[in-house]
Amino acid sequence: MTVQRQYTLPHCNLVLEGMSANANDPLSPLSVLMNAECHLPGATDASLTGGREFLDSLVAAVSRYGQQLLSGVPYPTAGGAVIVEIKPGEGLYHHLIVHQQPLGEPVSDINAQPPLDVKLTTVQFYDLMEAVDQLLADSQTLPDLTAQFQAVSRRLVQPTEPVAKRAAPAVLGATALAAAALALFFVPPPTVEPTRPESDASTPAESSTLPPETAPGADAGATEGSSSELSAEGGDLDGLDNAPPITDAAAIALLSSDLTNRLQAAWADAPRPSGDLAYRMVVSEDGDILGYKYENDLALAEVDNTPLPQLTFVPLPGAAPVQERVAQFITTFTPAGEVVVEPIAPEASGSSSGASSGSAVASATTPASLPPLSNRVTDGDRIRDLNSTLYDSILADLEPLSANEALRFRVRLTETGEVVGYEPVSAAAGLLAAETPLPGLVAAANSTADQADFQVVFTERGVLEVNPWDGWPQ
Amino acid sequence: MPVDSPPAPQPPLVLDTLTNPGLPTDECPRRARIQLDLLLLAIEALDLGGSEAMLATARDLGLESLVKGRVHLWLLRGTNPMRRYSQRRPLDIEEAKALVTIICTLARRLTVLVRQLLVGYQQLADKQLTPDHHFRLADYLIRFRSHFRARMNPSRAGVIAYSSDEKLDQLAIELLQQLLLCSGVLGPQRLWNSLFDGEVS
Repeated sequence: MTVQRQYTLPHCNLVLEGMSANANDPLSPLSVLMNAECHLPGATDASLTGGREFLDSLVAAVSRYGQQLLSGVPYPTAGGAVIVEIKPGEGLYHHLIVHQQPLGEPVSDINAQPPLDVKLTTVQFYDLMEAVDQLLADSQTLPDLTAQFQAVSRRLVQPTEPVAKRAAPAVLGATALAAAALALFFVPPPTVEPTRPESDASTPAESSTLPPETAPGADAGATEGSSSELSAEGGDLDGLDNAPPITDAAAIALLSSDLTNRLQAAWADAPRPSGDLAYRMVVSEDGDILGYKYENDLALAEVDNTPLPQLTFVPLPGAAPVQERVAQFITTFTPAGEVVVEPIAPEASGSSSGASSGSAVASATTPASLPPLSNRVTDGDRIRDLNSTLYDSILADLEPLSANEALRFRVRLTETGEVVGYEPVSAAAGLLAAETPLPGLVAAANSTADQADFQVVFTERGVLEVNPWDGWPQ
Repeated sequence: MPVDSPPAPQPPLVLDTLTNPGLPTDECPRRARIQLDLLLLAIEALDLGGSEAMLATARDLGLESLVKGRVHLWLLRGTNPMRRYSQRRPLDIEEAKALVTIICTLARRLTVLVRQLLVGYQQLADKQLTPDHHFRLADYLIRFRSHFRARMNPSRAGVIAYSSDEKLDQLAIELLQQLLLCSGVLGPQRLWNSLFDGEVS
């Protein structure tokens, strides 16, 4: 027996036709659906019809969309082909889309039908939903069709923000990290120079690591003390050759006597050496022994018998080197048990340091001004004579200079005492060379005779110093 | 047989149609608490005697054990974190069910009015007119705005999002739609399940 059920609402008319389970019982439920028909007056003139598949799809779509409207959480779309789907439209409208294409048949150009798109207001959608709900709640129609409510799982919820927006902070962070890494890549890592204790550095065993020209077996000229060689003894003395010298004579005298007393006291009960032990020492303004270097071979061999390793100031590891004013002394431990401390004039020590570094600079940067010496004057007496001759000739023309620092020149003389040329060693010397008498002294520019180099220093206090470039002859 | 303790209170039968959503705890999620309070707020804006009607409905449905009078209802609604006097207490699942039932019952009673307002709003929107042209709708929107601003904490981030009249009107219309949707025969179940969208595992 054919049974018809009708659910009527103002904007929706849902009509179901089917067979009841028991034809003889008028109260038996409609259990086999033959046709479902849905009219949406006001929204569309077309009637949506279909079988059980259409009805199931309609119920599912309406339920899903109703829940989405209530919660605001987008319902995950079911995969696969669906006959009915509902999508939100602009404003308060909703789109009911019905794919009329029969699912079982292949789509071709002949039977292809466009999907039916019905625009529903909220009230119209509510009526459709209410009709479906009444059908679901009706136990007399399709008892197997019941409401299936299920909240959307957390895993299925689409994030409300697009992926690009959510990923933006992470991308920004990664970019900033990469940029920082790139920037720091060009920053050199800090170099950590391991500081060796002075007592180790001055033992004979350690001296084998010294450069060859300062080794004990080298000739006396090579080991002639210069503060740059002194600083080579220990890594912590690197700054000492550039340290400003103490120029106050009273302070030097005070330091000298203080040093003598301390060394004498510390050396009182040590075994006496077989000969003089001479050391060049660098002492800071407050009396700390910053470094020392042997001046003769015996001093190197017997350094452990002297109190120097114990008295030397060892800077804290890792502490930044302090640039302080220093004084240099020659300390001699005599076999008689006396300690003799002689100050080295700060100008002399400074000049020798400047000379050793300056000659390297001069030969490297301005080779054209003074070519390397080919024929040297080797006679010691001759060099001394030339030195005094040069000193006298410069002093004769010397006028007060406007320099506020020492001007350092390398001056080349022939064997006969003529000035071949000169070369400024420091930058200030290059600028103020015209104020000195040197330009007027150049006599023989091209001379093939034996030549000798001298260092000429005009100190800021107006003192003239002249000494041989390679040191005083032995 | 003498008994030395009163029988354990049974949850009202009217709530049986709402199944437990399978949450890890017995407390309602944050979005559910906000949603229930806002729907009640919309009902108050629709109906001047709305708050009285809520209490009367609770009595009629036999929910006194869960909604024990005016103050208790205020406490339940105060679990909305957007409220000015927000309560720290959790909202039990059973209490939420009672609120859902009350909302749906009142929504069904107000169906005609809700439909009128939504149809009117739709027509005004189609003509590009503001809701002020519909007297009843404008009345509802004004009342909803004043209720909302009087009771919600303006420094909460969720409330700052509704700082302008337009956004509050938008919210009021959305709540009107939701009231309509939960006024049907299966409205309570639909509303109940929608409260836990995205919360269950």
